[in-house]
Amino acid sequence: MVQRDSYFQNLLARMKTWSRINSPWVLHFNSGSCNGCDIEILATLTPRYDLERFGVKLQGSPRHADVLLCTGGVTRQARDRLLRIYSQMHEPKFVVAIGACALTGGVFRDCYNILGGIEKVIPVDAYIPGCPPRPEAIIDGIVKLLSSLQAPAVGEGDQVSIDEAGAEVR
Amino acid sequence: MGSTTIKDVLLSLIALLIFPGGLFLLFVGLAYEWIDRKLLARMQNRVGPRWFQPLADTIKLLAKEEVVPDAVDASLFIGLPIVALAGVLTAAIYMPFPGLPPVGSFPGDLIVTVFLLSLVTICLGLAGANTLDRFSLVGATRALTQLFAYEAPFLLALLGPAFVAGSWEISEIIGYTDGRWLLITQPFGFIVAVIGLIGKLEIPPLDAPEAETEIVAGALTEYSGRGLALFRLGKGVALVLGLTLIAAFYLGGVATPLLFLAKTLVLLLVIVGIHALFTRLRIDQTVGLWWRYGTLLVLVQWLGIIIWQGVMI
Repeated sequence: MVQRDSYFQNLLARMKTWSRINSPWVLHFNSGSCNGCDIEILATLTPRYDLERFGVKLQGSPRHADVLLCTGGVTRQARDRLLRIYSQMHEPKFVVAIGACALTGGVFRDCYNILGGIEKVIPVDAYIPGCPPRPEAIIDGIVKLLSSLQAPAVGEGDQVSIDEAGAEVR
Repeated sequence: MGSTTIKDVLLSLIALLIFPGGLFLLFVGLAYEWIDRKLLARMQNRVGPRWFQPLADTIKLLAKEEVVPDAVDASLFIGLPIVALAGVLTAAIYMPFPGLPPVGSFPGDLIVTVFLLSLVTICLGLAGANTLDRFSLVGATRALTQLFAYEAPFLLALLGPAFVAGSWEISEIIGYTDGRWLLITQPFGFIVAVIGLIGKLEIPPLDAPEAETEIVAGALTEYSGRGLALFRLGKGVALVLGLTLIAAFYLGGVATPLLFLAKTLVLLLVIVGIHALFTRLRIDQTVGLWWRYGTLLVLVQWLGIIIWQGVMI
């Protein structure tokens, strides 16, 4: 009986993972980028690259989205908004930092109003370097993030709570 | 006697839960949603989603965390998606759904069916009005405004065939329309019914209630997880049932599953074509379209039918 239960749960978990890999809905947030990376994200969503063939859909509401695409270093103004949008998303959620500034702060690194990369504020699951990254690079990064879901080490357990993330900044 | 009752109960349970209502209908709804998205993608010169895409979306949403927002009536928030889905699934009982005769019928079931199909929109409006989010509120207002705009012309358009058939019972109307293409004798009714279906399902160009460029996701902005999945499933089922109703009434009936498939898919192609061709109408333009042209056209057609019948008799 115990074995049958675990088999059923295993099947259920595999179905969940399969559906998450095949249907990532994305939300796009600019926390202080020069707009270059945003244009590349939009180019990725156009018919030429057509991310809908991987099931990716751009959503307007953080409640519907699974993946948060962040561009640009985090400014002091944008920090609260970024945290708020992240906390409005429902589990399981993933964050992708796109572009050099989102990774480290890039050319804005030591500016008075820049806190640094996205990882200074919220936990990041995937990093896509480039200034700006090409659409192919963005697709590659998202595919790598999703295929990493199959590995048991990366998953819902690794989430850092908002308070911890916020404390890091201060 | 006892054995027949048990058999009857079993048969009606199967008809309600597995085939043709229930499970089968849900999967057909998902399949039609995929055909819709794939056709649109091909018209926009894209590859489009894979065949299991709506299924993957639904499973993912069902497995996603659901949070009931603050200052919201929790029982309504959770109950409305269930009522919406149950309403459209119930409507399938009175429909000639996969080309088979309806499972149940009684005089006047056409009105009940149209009401059950509107239940999705009513639940959507209530769900949006239930949350305090401003986008939901605007979306709910628009959804209910649009409901009042298209509901009367849509019902009048569906009553055209009922008028000619001399019955308000779906099974008798499809008995009359089988082989008779009412599309030719009642063209205005057909056009109004198709555009009514577009408005009912909030497909562009009549998608002002969920305009994602203005009001995020309309009434469903605060929904995630199971509630969103159930509303999406309900819309897929409503799409299939609406196509069935129009094909059965105006396109010469759906006597066999093959005819059902062919006629509903042609109708779906027309709807996707309209989706790809036109941009979104403002909500006042939508309402104006229905009350200035839709209702008037159907009423003129009704007058024509009455005069014609008077001449014939």
